[in-house]
Amino acid sequence: MRILLVSLGVAAATAGCQREERQLRVDPPVAAALDSITLMPNGISGAPPEIYFALDRPYETNAYNLSQGKRLYSWFGCKGCHADGQGGAGPAFLDGWWNYGPEIVSIFASIRDGRPHGMPAFRDKMTTEQIWQLAGYVQTIGAYSIKTAAPGRNDEKQTRPAENRGPAAKRFDEGPTPIHLDQGPVP
Amino acid sequence: MSEVKPDTRDSELAPPALAAALAETWRTPVGLWGVLAAVDHKIIARRYIVTAFAFLALGGVLALLMRLQLAQPEARVLSPDRYNQIFTMHGTNMMFLFAVPVMEAMGVYLVPLMVGTRNIAFPRLNAFSYWIFLAGGALLWIAFVLDMAPDVGWFAYVPLSGPQYGAGKRADIWAQMITFTEIAALAVAVEIVVTVLKQRAPGMSLDRIPLFVWSMLVTSFVVIMAMPAIVFASTSLILDRLVGTHFFNPAEGGDVLLWQHLFWFFGHPEVYIIFLPAVGMVSAIIETFARRPVFGYLAMVMALIATSILAFGLWVHHMFVTGLPRLGQSFFTASSMSIAIPAGVQVFCWLATLWDGAPVFRTPLLFVIGFIVTFVIGGLTGVMVASVPFDTQVHDTYFVVAHFHYVLIGGAVFPLLGGIYYWFPKITGRMMSETLGKCSFWLIFVGFNLTFFPMHILGLAGMPRRIYTYQPDMPWYGLNMFVSISSLVLVAGFLVFFIDAIRSTRVGVSAAENPWDAPTLEWATASPPPSYNFAEIPVVNGLSPLWDQPGCLMVASGLRTDRRELIVSTVAAAKPQVREASPRDSIWPFWAAVATTVMLIGSIFTPWAVVWGSVPVAIALIGWFWPKATPEDES
Repeated sequence: MRILLVSLGVAAATAGCQREERQLRVDPPVAAALDSITLMPNGISGAPPEIYFALDRPYETNAYNLSQGKRLYSWFGCKGCHADGQGGAGPAFLDGWWNYGPEIVSIFASIRDGRPHGMPAFRDKMTTEQIWQLAGYVQTIGAYSIKTAAPGRNDEKQTRPAENRGPAAKRFDEGPTPIHLDQGPVP
Repeated sequence: MSEVKPDTRDSELAPPALAAALAETWRTPVGLWGVLAAVDHKIIARRYIVTAFAFLALGGVLALLMRLQLAQPEARVLSPDRYNQIFTMHGTNMMFLFAVPVMEAMGVYLVPLMVGTRNIAFPRLNAFSYWIFLAGGALLWIAFVLDMAPDVGWFAYVPLSGPQYGAGKRADIWAQMITFTEIAALAVAVEIVVTVLKQRAPGMSLDRIPLFVWSMLVTSFVVIMAMPAIVFASTSLILDRLVGTHFFNPAEGGDVLLWQHLFWFFGHPEVYIIFLPAVGMVSAIIETFARRPVFGYLAMVMALIATSILAFGLWVHHMFVTGLPRLGQSFFTASSMSIAIPAGVQVFCWLATLWDGAPVFRTPLLFVIGFIVTFVIGGLTGVMVASVPFDTQVHDTYFVVAHFHYVLIGGAVFPLLGGIYYWFPKITGRMMSETLGKCSFWLIFVGFNLTFFPMHILGLAGMPRRIYTYQPDMPWYGLNMFVSISSLVLVAGFLVFFIDAIRSTRVGVSAAENPWDAPTLEWATASPPPSYNFAEIPVVNGLSPLWDQPGCLMVASGLRTDRRELIVSTVAAAKPQVREASPRDSIWPFWAAVATTVMLIGSIFTPWAVVWGSVPVAIALIGWFWPKATPEDES
């Protein structure tokens, strides 16, 4: 009993942990603030808005947001060009190469504003929150180290290990001639 | 302390010297070490019971929160996400952390006393079981505090709890909490089976076992048969979620319905794991307060066994709306209805006992009569939902909520509270208050019926389960408010019970050995019983030993007093076979439980925890079984 109380006390003390929090509706001012990212002039890299850090990077560390991102990935047809991360008409996420860098702002900008050679802008199709969720998820596909907050497999035919198994690290393959000359031989 | 010379037999010592020698041998050390190393079944069971009642109180708070939220349409007391966590926690907590453990704990306390032995079989396993249970409960409640409690219902159906829809670690925490309680329950079940079959007092043949002991024996077999299904289910769920296996993924050859079959193959017997011990308590209480042995002992035992066998043949009635073949539905309708036969046999035997006896209406008997009334109502709605067309109509509505609260609270909690009032003097040495007891009974009985009976009507009016709110134009508003207000009466009853219990441990009237003049062996020793239970092992030659041989019980002698020894007897006739040593206190069950906890919680996050976590578990087990050069090791 005493142990139970102590452990509950410890739990209450660590209640700052937010990996499992589910916010079902983002306040409109927060959503507006989340939209104002700062990008470098070349459209690669930059800084998320300050509120993103004030919220403790919810779209990279929160399990619910990542799994919502995974659903949006199917719902908004990302698979049509990027498959399950292997790529197709669009670039792959699993080959250890990010055309615009692996930072979440770059991914956010790619989805929101689109990119040359066929990446459409989803600005008018998704809410800011959804774009953030999707960006967080896409980053997870290409991550080399396993993130415990990452989603598990879907109930469908499998083409690669699930996100929580670190698919990019397992599927990293630069091929006989590297597509990207700057790319190294290991992840 | 004078040194007890080796191989001193109890027959060589005068009663005071014998008591002193046994007290020294069976002593549980004081201090933190003693607390962590205790193996006395009474100490472990007391902890179990207190912890389980703490979980009951916490689960009750959750229920109140839900009633607060549902009292009015469109209420904003809880967020939908918190509500999902709370109804899941309420069910999981009440089933796995209160009902099953508290019933087994009553068995752990009473079975060794009722069969006349000095400790439960495998006492260290018993200590391990408690620590594991505590860790499982702490895991669930810490997760709740961290806002990561399971939110998938207490039965965690896939695909909702599967990797695609169950985001985060919430369902994993549910599944591992199940693993903790499975381990704890299986450990206790094995102990009780061995205690009942091999440690009975000489002469207590199978047809002289008290009905409560029979019910615990049958329950323990049900636990042993039912738990493997849920072990497999929860493990495969975790594997699906963590390492991407495909047990429940139809696209890769898995099967979604497999989950429901596995869960309910465990889940329905689970109901009887909770109910059968309660039945045993009812028999014990009725026997004592009707002042005659239970009518139809053989029929009662047969009904217990029949219930336990039928329990495994009706799980599909939880799945009538999953689109199963008609033949299967008919079969399981028939088997579900047939469970009413053994239940009816028991109810009529109890009524016959009361009819023929001279009932004394003390608090325990009041709770038993409350049990008979509510359980019969719950049983009748049970027969109703066993029929497929009716079930299809009310499935997932408040009708089902009402039904299972009637059978679970009516069928298990009422007898349990009666049992607490009945055995409280044995456990604590003090009586509970009769006034407060009657007060709490009436508050609980009236509050319970006012709270749960209207839910039948709400269900028939179409109110679904597990909704966090409803719109104002639904015709459910008034009744929901009524239910919420009534639940306060129910809570007041429980509050009176808790106050009475806590108060009585300090200021209650001291209890004699046998305050109710009951017939079974647990009343043949002091209240509370000494660490060695009985100075000399009683010899039994009838069903009601304390009524058959009033005042002077025959005893067996010849046990050693310088080491922990008890009698092992034959399974059927309970003829003494050997003197067997019973293990001393050990810290290793605690360390083994800590190591197991680390491994199981680690495996929520990485499969490698099973590999590396098994190393400390192995070390703890080696320490556990390493000979310690105690006198008990010689045997």
